[in-house]
Amino acid sequence: MSTLTAPTTKTPPEPAKPAKPRARNHRGVSPALRAENNVIRSIGVFVLWAVVVISIAMLAWMVLQAFRDTRAILSDPWGMPATFDFSNFVRAWTVSDFATATFNSVVTTGISSFLTVAIAAPAAYYLSRVESRLTGGLSLYFILGLGIPAQVILIPLFIMLNEVNLTDSLIGLNLVYIAMSMPFTVFLLTAFFRSLPLEMEEAAALDGASALRTFVQITLPLAKGGILTAFVLQVVAHWNETLLALTLIQSTEKYTLPVALISFVQQQTYSGADWGGLFAGLCIVVLPMLIIYVWLGRRLTEGLTLGMGK
Amino acid sequence: MSTTIGRRAATDSPAPAKKQKQGQGGSIDRQRRKLLMPFVGPAFIFYTVLFIVPAIGAAWISLHVWAGSGPMKFVGLQNYARVFKDDLFLKSFGNTLLLLFVVGAAIFILAFAMTLVLRDMAGKKMVRNVIFFPHLINALVFGVLAGFIFNPGGMVNTLLKPLGITEPPAWLAQENIFPLIMATLVATTTGYFTTILMAGVDRIPPYFYEDCALAGATAFQRLRYVILPLTWDVFGTCAVLWTISSIKIFEIIWVFGGSSGAGIPPTQSWTTAVYTYVTAFSGQSTPAYGAATASAIISLALVSVLVVLLRRAMRRDAVEF
Repeated sequence: MSTLTAPTTKTPPEPAKPAKPRARNHRGVSPALRAENNVIRSIGVFVLWAVVVISIAMLAWMVLQAFRDTRAILSDPWGMPATFDFSNFVRAWTVSDFATATFNSVVTTGISSFLTVAIAAPAAYYLSRVESRLTGGLSLYFILGLGIPAQVILIPLFIMLNEVNLTDSLIGLNLVYIAMSMPFTVFLLTAFFRSLPLEMEEAAALDGASALRTFVQITLPLAKGGILTAFVLQVVAHWNETLLALTLIQSTEKYTLPVALISFVQQQTYSGADWGGLFAGLCIVVLPMLIIYVWLGRRLTEGLTLGMGK
Repeated sequence: MSTTIGRRAATDSPAPAKKQKQGQGGSIDRQRRKLLMPFVGPAFIFYTVLFIVPAIGAAWISLHVWAGSGPMKFVGLQNYARVFKDDLFLKSFGNTLLLLFVVGAAIFILAFAMTLVLRDMAGKKMVRNVIFFPHLINALVFGVLAGFIFNPGGMVNTLLKPLGITEPPAWLAQENIFPLIMATLVATTTGYFTTILMAGVDRIPPYFYEDCALAGATAFQRLRYVILPLTWDVFGTCAVLWTISSIKIFEIIWVFGGSSGAGIPPTQSWTTAVYTYVTAFSGQSTPAYGAATASAIISLALVSVLVVLLRRAMRRDAVEF
């Protein structure tokens, strides 16, 4: 319940800084906005903080368990690691081949995300700047893909790639990821380019820059933020993609992380549970996302929510 | 560069002032139009060849009996008829509908309640950041963790023991897995939709609330006449998003079962995505590509119908403010 007192302890600084009371008010909690403090609300606030605490505790717990050996985890799931023993990570990294999988995932995610944005950005630019019946139709055509679930294209894709020997190949997987990400990235970037002011482009054109040069030298630098957002969103999506990787990749040395994790889980059925190694594997999947989130969190939430709100 | 300048200078000089401007815009426009192929071409080709063509191919394959190699036999709509007589598919389809509607409803009610509490709460940024994070994690992780938390000697049971529950339910028994998956999904997805709804609610200008306070509106009236109408379109977007993403749910089900034993999850917890994958690639029986794609096409049809209906239903009043 101590959390409930937080607002009152936080308010004292406010009168201490009379210089700009306006700015503070505009941050959200003006008197008119504040709900009356009834019981239901208090419960709600309490529950929310409980959710926050449990989420963080779960994450911390998962990381900590990765430092304990399986027998200790099983005998006492609430225990803390006695020492920071990296043997789970070492074993997962070497014996279970998470090293190769991590490498594959990093390479695939990096390349496919970069190419996705590199290919989608010009298309989105064109669709946002030229208004004709053709571009309207094209935009609609790209948006259509947002609604097609991956399992629909799964089988034909497998057959097609098999014809050209691109199954069980990271190149094939990259190509598929790029194609699959087109609808969302084009959609997001089109909306973003539309939000950029036209004046600078017009000025550049008046100065005699070609359309291509205007795009490269004026629009792209202006759009850095949006492009970075699109890139990071693709990194998250490709890092976590499972169904297509599971279908298209068969040999162990080409597994991406999610596929390696699945195969690790399924091996346990035969070789006995190795929860220590499994937790280490989970950490390898989750922690890069955590780092990206801490680093670029605002972009991610904005990219995933702002585009939707409009 | 010099050529474009030269050309424009040539067109500029004889033209009167008014026309000059038109010619100017036209030339940029014309130049831009020429970029159609190099700019849109690559995206168009990738997307068409590796996304749209397979999607059309799926519709074509679903009309055939085919084991992946050998001859395709055209059977028309028989695959669909066959699939709808298949108990496994009906179970999977029912589960998909459960995810779509029951889990969806739970997520929306919770997310909206959380949004209302979060709206004017101290520390809302931190709460929002934390509850959004699960969206970035592969659902596999939740499946594996849940398998551990609910296993017989796992955390839940050790927690229940001091409470006097010595014989807890068999959480991971086949018939309990799907409700558990639904609960896990609600727990891990609500945060994402809360964040989106929050973005919508935050766009409401404060003076509306101030107006409410002046007019003496109750909390419920404020909700009914200000917050709901102004976030209606965001609700619509969320509903569409959930519809699309719930149909794809696969990973979490795949390991939820996997962690409890066999390689393929128990049939009680299948969704249409799992059905498609297993029917085509399990390697346990002859792959039935026709039936598998038929199941996928049915889910696509479900998405399309629902999205169209949702757009129709939510269109009513996009309040501008």
